[in-house]
Amino acid sequence: MSNATVEHMCQSARVIVTCGTGGVGKTSIAAALGVIAATAGRRVVVITIDPAKRLADAIGLTDTLGNEPEQVLISAPGEMWVTMLDVRETFDNLVRSAAPTPQRATEMMENSFYRSLSRSLSGTRDYMAAERLYELYNDDRFDVVIVDTPPSRNALDFLESPERLARFLKHPIVRVLIAPGRGGLRFASAAITPVLKAISSVVGSDALSGVASFLRAFDGMEKEFTQRALAVARTLRSDDTRFVVVTAPSPDALGEADHFVGELSRLKIDLQYVVANRMPPRFGDTSSTDQMNFARNATGDLAAAHTILASLLVDAERAETGIEEFIGRTRAKFPAVHLTAVTEFPTDIHSIEAISALAEQLAAPSWSK
Amino acid sequence: MELHHFFTTQRVLIVAGKGGVGKSAVAAALALASARSGVRTLLVSLHSESIEVPANEHLEHVTVTPGGALSDFLSSKGMGLLSRQLARSGIVELVATTAPGLDDLLVLGRIKAYEKDKRADVIIVDGPAAGHAIDFVRAPAQLKRAIPTGPIGQQSDEVITMLTDPNRCKILMVTTAAMTPVMESAEVIHELQHTLGMTLLPIVVNKCERDVPEMSVTTLEAPLRDAYEYASSRLHAQHTALTTLNELTPLEHMLTHRYVTEGADLVESLASELATRIQELS
Repeated sequence: MSNATVEHMCQSARVIVTCGTGGVGKTSIAAALGVIAATAGRRVVVITIDPAKRLADAIGLTDTLGNEPEQVLISAPGEMWVTMLDVRETFDNLVRSAAPTPQRATEMMENSFYRSLSRSLSGTRDYMAAERLYELYNDDRFDVVIVDTPPSRNALDFLESPERLARFLKHPIVRVLIAPGRGGLRFASAAITPVLKAISSVVGSDALSGVASFLRAFDGMEKEFTQRALAVARTLRSDDTRFVVVTAPSPDALGEADHFVGELSRLKIDLQYVVANRMPPRFGDTSSTDQMNFARNATGDLAAAHTILASLLVDAERAETGIEEFIGRTRAKFPAVHLTAVTEFPTDIHSIEAISALAEQLAAPSWSK
Repeated sequence: MELHHFFTTQRVLIVAGKGGVGKSAVAAALALASARSGVRTLLVSLHSESIEVPANEHLEHVTVTPGGALSDFLSSKGMGLLSRQLARSGIVELVATTAPGLDDLLVLGRIKAYEKDKRADVIIVDGPAAGHAIDFVRAPAQLKRAIPTGPIGQQSDEVITMLTDPNRCKILMVTTAAMTPVMESAEVIHELQHTLGMTLLPIVVNKCERDVPEMSVTTLEAPLRDAYEYASSRLHAQHTALTTLNELTPLEHMLTHRYVTEGADLVESLASELATRIQELS
C-alpha cells in the first residue's frame, strides 16, 4: 500500500483538518474519515465548527450535539466520537484554567464585553476552534482528532488565529488598556493617545472603557493565553497534522478549492490530500456524443433512455475534466498531492450507513492519482 | 405577479443560502430580471470575486467590503483623517475585535446608505452563506447590546429599523432540493422570521433536475438501465426533499433548473426562468 492513501493518513495522523467550501460534502467526508480511522482500531473524535449542525444531520444523530463528545455506535474495533464546537463553553473553560483565582475567572465571565465577545465574534469562533482542537489533541481518550472547518472562504483563519491573538495581546494599545499605569488612560504614551481617542470616537467612550475593564480583568491571564495560542499554532504546523481539501467538480466549488490551495500554500502548510467528492457516476464506456447519436437513431423509450444516459455522461465528462485541470493546478504548488475521487450518491447522506459506504469508497476509491 | 411589482415591494432584497446552492448566480439573475423589467437595480456583492453579469442599462453592480465600508462610514462622520490614521497604524483589526460584528454592521450600514440615497429602486444583496446570514443580520442587535451609545449604537438602531421593516427590506432564501440544504434553510427561515422579525420572499429552489419520463426498464441494456434508474432515484430524492420543504415552511417556492453552463450564460438562463416563476406567483 502506498503511503499516500487516505487510509494510511487515517491510520497515522494525529490531527486531520478538512477544508472546502459549502455544499461539497465536507462534513460527510470528515465523518467518513472518522469511520476509516475507527475501522483501523483508532479512537477518533470528529469536531465540527459549522454552526448549522450538519455533522449531527449526516450521522443521523437527532439530539443536539454539545461540546462534550458523544460516541457514535458503529461496528469497528476503534471508537468514533463527535462533538460540536461550543464557543462560549470553550472560552469559559479557557478562562477558568488561565485565571489565577476562581474569583478572577468569575469577574471576567461577568464582564458584559466578554459575554458578547464570546458569543458572537467570528474571530473568537476561529480561535476557540483552534483551542478546542488543542484540548482534544491532548485528551487521552482520543488517538486522532478530525476537524471539519466552517464552510466559509476564510475557514482557514482559525489556523492563524492563535498567532493573531498572541499578536493582539502584544499590541501597544492593548498593553496600555491592560495596564494603564498611574493616572490611567489619560497618561498613555503620546503616540497612542490620539489613536485611543479615535477609537473611542467611533465606538463610543462607554465601549472603550468596557473593553478596558475587560482587558484589565484579563491582566495576568494573557501570558497563559499567548503561550497556549502558540502551542496550538505549533501543533497545527507539525507533522502530526494532515490537511485535506475537499471539493466537488462544479466550477464554483473548484474555484473555491483553488482559493484553499492558495491559502495553504501561503501559510506554508503542506497539502497532501485532495478528495473529489460528489463525482457524477459514469455508466458504461461510451461517450456522451455516442449516446446522442444513438438517441437520434432510436425512437420512443429507447431514444429517451439514450438521451438520459447522454446527459449523465455530459455531467461525468465535465466533472472529470474539471478535476483533472484542478489537480494539475494544485500539483504546481504541491507536486506530491494525492487525489481520491468519490462517486455521488443519488440521495442525500444522512445516516451512519451512508457515511460507512462513503468511507468504503474513500478507502478503496474507483480512481485515484 | 408583475415583475416590477415583485422587485419594488421592498428597497433592499437580501439573497441568502448555503454554499453550493448557487446563491450568487440567483442573486445576479434576480438583478438582471429586475433591471429588464425596467426597475433601476443595484446588485451588491460582499466579496471581491463576484459573478459576471450581462450588462443592462438599468443595472449597476458594486462590491462592498468591511474595510471600504469603514472608511466610507468614517468619512461620512467627518473623520476622513481618522480613517487614514487607523489604516496607517494597522489597528482596524483591533477596532473590529473590540466591537464584535462591526464588520457586518459596516456592510449593512453601507447598504442602508445606498437605500437612503435612492441609488436604485431596488438593491439586491448577494448575501453571506446561510450559516453566516443569521450572524450577519443579527450583528446590529448584538453590537447594540455591547455598545449602546455613540455612532455605532446609532448606526445599529438605523440598520435594525431597516431590516425589520418589510416595506424596506426582505430576505430571499436560495436552496437546492436535497435534504440537508432544505433542513438548514428551514432552520434559518424560522430564525429570521421569529427571532429577528424579518420578512421573507418565496424560496428559490435551484439546481432542480429535469423530469424523467416513465418507461419500462426491463428491455434496456445495462448502462441504459443503470442510467435510467440513477436518474429516477435522483428525481425521487428531489421530490422527497421538496415535500419536506413544504411541510417545514409555508413560504411559496420558485423552482429553477440545473444548468451545465456557468458565468454570464448561467445568469442569463436563470434570469429568464426566474422571470417566468415570478410571473406565476399569485
